[in-house]
Amino acid sequence: MRAKVGVYICECGPNIAEKVDIDGIIAGLSEFDGFGETELVVKKYGFLCSKSGREFLEEEIRNLGLTHLVIGACSPRDHDSTFKGVCGRTDLNPYLYRIINIREHCSWVIDDVEKATEKAESYLRGGIARVLRQSELFENPIDVNPDVLVIGGGVAGMQAALSLAAEDRRVSIVERSDRLGGRALELSGLSSGTFRGSDIAAGQVESVMGNPYIDVFLNTGVSSVIGFLGNFVIELLSDEDGATTEISSGAIIAATGCAVYDPSLSGSYNYSDRDDVYNPLEISRMLSSEGGVALRSGGRPENIALVHCAGRDELNYCSGICCGVMMKTALLLKESIPGVDITEFYRDICVPPHEGRQLYESVLEAGVDLVRVESAGLSGTTVSFREKSGVEDQRSFDMVVTAPALIPSPDTADIALLLGIPLDDTGFFQEAHRMTDPSGTTTDGVFIAGTSQGPRGILDSMRFARASAGLILTRLIIGEKLVPEVAVSEILEAYCTGCGNCLEVCVYGAIYSDGSKGVSVVNEAICRGCGNCFGSCPSGALRTKHFTNTQLYREVDEALR
Amino acid sequence: MNRQTDTEFTPKIVGFLCNWCTYAAADLAGTSRLKIPSTFSVIRVMCSSRIDHNLLLTTFFKGADGILVAGCHPGDCHYGEGNYYARRRFALLKKVMEVLDIDAERLQLSWISAAEGHRYAEVVGKFTEKIRELGPNPIKGSTRF
Repeated sequence: MRAKVGVYICECGPNIAEKVDIDGIIAGLSEFDGFGETELVVKKYGFLCSKSGREFLEEEIRNLGLTHLVIGACSPRDHDSTFKGVCGRTDLNPYLYRIINIREHCSWVIDDVEKATEKAESYLRGGIARVLRQSELFENPIDVNPDVLVIGGGVAGMQAALSLAAEDRRVSIVERSDRLGGRALELSGLSSGTFRGSDIAAGQVESVMGNPYIDVFLNTGVSSVIGFLGNFVIELLSDEDGATTEISSGAIIAATGCAVYDPSLSGSYNYSDRDDVYNPLEISRMLSSEGGVALRSGGRPENIALVHCAGRDELNYCSGICCGVMMKTALLLKESIPGVDITEFYRDICVPPHEGRQLYESVLEAGVDLVRVESAGLSGTTVSFREKSGVEDQRSFDMVVTAPALIPSPDTADIALLLGIPLDDTGFFQEAHRMTDPSGTTTDGVFIAGTSQGPRGILDSMRFARASAGLILTRLIIGEKLVPEVAVSEILEAYCTGCGNCLEVCVYGAIYSDGSKGVSVVNEAICRGCGNCFGSCPSGALRTKHFTNTQLYREVDEALR
Repeated sequence: MNRQTDTEFTPKIVGFLCNWCTYAAADLAGTSRLKIPSTFSVIRVMCSSRIDHNLLLTTFFKGADGILVAGCHPGDCHYGEGNYYARRRFALLKKVMEVLDIDAERLQLSWISAAEGHRYAEVVGKFTEKIRELGPNPIKGSTRF
């Protein structure tokens, strides 16, 4: 069939009309004989994006029987979807249309009308040549599963589950240990703001257990994850009896929490189990036990050292929450043991913005001795330190509390591998983008929350959990379908040598190897169409739909004509 | 249809811009009414990692005097790490260009974010000046693809 390309140039009010000679372009394109047998219809219009403009285009497509459509207008970022929608209301496949940006890239950046006109015409020729090489693509909306899997039953995981269940979503929580509540449940003595961590966690556990929308799997891990946003199939493995359960969900929230650094791994902390050296979690447990804070030998400590920053040099990051925890610990110890002397050896003070200053002043008022050091080490309960002034000294105490860094929980790397998400350079889950997408990951449909993505307090963990739940509620809407990207990669079997380069470079894990044929295959449901695999293919087997080399060469030809 | 009348060398430069960062920067240059040489032609691709050696070399053989490939800053790639791959492939291609007698200076890789409209205009302007100094691409049309 002879191609009939409709080329419509938008005046965009004065934005294009005053800066390029549209009539000159219409004449120029009509005279141009580089498109062989192709019939061109070239017209201009005031505002193509307006309601009347869209209706005009629909009529043109139908009445003239256009086979392809080129729009000379603004950036595709503004109105590509508008004109795709116009095609969608006719029989013209939206992938046989192209918007050419003659506003941002011509009329607004080139002063000379003659040059701007020449440029716009060149871009339009490229658009016509390209659109003739484009192929129909068919979007295939898929049903989505609105249920959610939450990995980890700590404050973040439970908060996410409760936020989702409040909107009638079914949620499964998978928890590795034998109880919900995570580390927060152990923080009975240490408050977060005006609440105690353990109270927050205990309240959540009660709500989760009584919620008909939430299923809880205790003593259970995740053994396999396949699928993509809207359709995941997850295999759960019981640690108790090795039984597997298959569940499906539309999204996954990984909230696998953190672990606590072992200060004895640091060369400068030398102590054993017989020494009265504890971390704040252990102090918290003692504070809420019947016996209170006591020495191993029995009796109360008369003086206690709080030594900040265990693991900071070894791990090369600041956990950000330990100073606040240490200050609260100091206040609670003062309150619990009348007359106790407390010395804090700190390097820098890093405290949360709202409570921080108040906390700091309370610590000073309580008579805690604050000593700023450059470094500090332990030999049993004797603290050796070098002050900022350079003075070195050592002092012995009855008891020492360390502030170990928060580190990724031991199965973080395994979970990351299962979910296909990267770790950052500290070993925590890496977000898709620190600023623009701090709860998403590189795997569409997988979200993160809580301390699995880095050290943070209880309230921040809950905030991030709500963010992830909110993203899922807006992306996976009950009853709506998802349209997966169709401009994806494909591999021509006949050319593929099965070298596996493309598998290596695909960050989405969208390419797999078909061992029986010895070729690589694209899973189009997962591919996002970046084209990185194309750049890695040595045998010419790869094709990036809607961005083929043939299409790009036509644009190059016209740019260089 | 060549309306060019002066005899001075006017370089033809092709810019392959990633959809998410540099193409958006080019749009921003437009909305900011900055000036872009009319000899610079934008071709939009989804990611700088999509650009393979064939496309670049063919574009040189077809007569481009210079090629700019521009994408997101390292660490900011919309697709995670595509621009790191683009960078490695570039390093390799520069070696190939030496063998083919194409001045490696004719190919430039730049990182320009969606917020850097001014930087986009500056990079395109400076690159155009550099290509003007280098003169016409000597291998234009010497090999058919």
